[in-house]
Amino acid sequence: MKHIKTLTTRDLKKSMKKGGCGECQTSCQSACKTSCTVGNQSCEKIK
Amino acid sequence: MIHQYKNNGYNIVMDVNSGSVHVVDDVVYEVVPLIEPLIEGGVRDRDTVQAAVAGLVRPGFDAESVREAVDEVLELEKAGQLFAPDIYENYVFDFKKRSTVVKALCLHISHDCNLACTYCFAGEGEYHGRRALMSFEVGKKALDFLVANSGNRVNLEVDFFGGEPLMNWQVVKDLVEYGRSIEKAAGKRFRFTLTTNGVLLNEEILEFANREMSNLVLSIDGRKQVHDRMRPFRGGQGSYDLIVPKFQRAAESRGQMNYYVRGTFTHYNLDFSEDVKHLADLGFQQISVEPVVAQPSDPYAIRQEDLPILREEYDKLAKEILARREAGKGFNFFHFMIDLQGGPCVAKRLSGCGSGTEYLAVTPWGDLYPCHQFVGQEQFKMGNVDEGITNTALRDEFKGCNVYAKEKCRECFAKFYCSGGCAANSYNFHGNINDAYEIGCELERKRVECAVMIKAAEAEKEENREDEEE
Repeated sequence: MKHIKTLTTRDLKKSMKKGGCGECQTSCQSACKTSCTVGNQSCEKIK
Repeated sequence: MIHQYKNNGYNIVMDVNSGSVHVVDDVVYEVVPLIEPLIEGGVRDRDTVQAAVAGLVRPGFDAESVREAVDEVLELEKAGQLFAPDIYENYVFDFKKRSTVVKALCLHISHDCNLACTYCFAGEGEYHGRRALMSFEVGKKALDFLVANSGNRVNLEVDFFGGEPLMNWQVVKDLVEYGRSIEKAAGKRFRFTLTTNGVLLNEEILEFANREMSNLVLSIDGRKQVHDRMRPFRGGQGSYDLIVPKFQRAAESRGQMNYYVRGTFTHYNLDFSEDVKHLADLGFQQISVEPVVAQPSDPYAIRQEDLPILREEYDKLAKEILARREAGKGFNFFHFMIDLQGGPCVAKRLSGCGSGTEYLAVTPWGDLYPCHQFVGQEQFKMGNVDEGITNTALRDEFKGCNVYAKEKCRECFAKFYCSGGCAANSYNFHGNINDAYEIGCELERKRVECAVMIKAAEAEKEENREDEEE
């Protein structure tokens, strides 16, 4: 495309079908402990 | 739902429901908000859409460019990458009916601390109760409880937390040993982590931690005067000089991976980007510096009027990170890390932090709470390691906590990145867990914008590199 560059992202709609295994890290166990930060967690199935 | 913004010379359009991110030129940037209501009204006819944006044509915005922009926008709409509908609310309904398992524990191994940090939500380690250390027996029961209640989950997380967990180090070691002795037969894998202020950190502890702990969280606020003001010993003297060399050694010994130096900024150091830079200058490559959570009456609390300064600080920091990466001296800032390609599925993004369901805190006496922030508030006691969860009504309340249960989240573009925010913050400020802490939300939105801008800049750099190679 000439006017738009789309960054590669995970398709959230598709993730409804295969997601939800619950194996990924609990967000508060990462570093925060005072805020909720989920977008930076990685999927255990993808990594 | 679209969120578009300009940052550091980039025009960014986020399609919230699909998760797509687009970097666009000025023409598309103006076209998108004109097309959005048409699409929402079911209008997709090319000629009708072209006619609706014809008024944009002016010097610098020629008719051909506007036509092309519309075609590209409609193409992305057709591909489900722009103006994607919200299809998740019914999914949440199913989600609430799910049976939950416990997969992570925050073990309050020590309700005591050798520092007296001004902003400590644990009240100098005691959580507004009495000083206590967790016994091995209680910790063992907690691990057994976790294994027994984890269903088919394989990865189980246990954070040794406090107070200061190194004040009860032998029990930490014994519990790790116990966990390792049972994990294989149980078909589980423990991921242990340790959060420490560093005062008691030594080579023996580090060697053990590097072998057994998948992550270390090392508490330091940044510049010496900032750190020492908020993180003194009980006698008032600062702790910076003691801990910095220990933390530097820890970071190096872990190959600059799988740890965070983790700081808190307050009203006293609104120029916190200087603290992040200071930590990077000390050689740390994994950095997290986060806003304090405090009552509005606390003098160090972040105030509404601080927000413009803090937004600028995040912008400065984002540019600094890009500049340092360009110079080969990059570092990670926890809140700007965003995994666009391999990030969490929708189920994770909707269900939040898991407090009160998959994540529980355990006190030195073996009582269970929804998370470490609720410890000490009797009405949030959920059960104990002997009887398990007895307050199932409270667990069900936490189970229903998701972005659709929070009115303030519905129209927020960042809802699938923060997942509805911190339940404890909500409770502290509004008396219930389904609200949102506005200052925290404002800062989260800014962080997401900066994080996505960094991704856009890196994508552009990569593209330029590929062009040069061709």
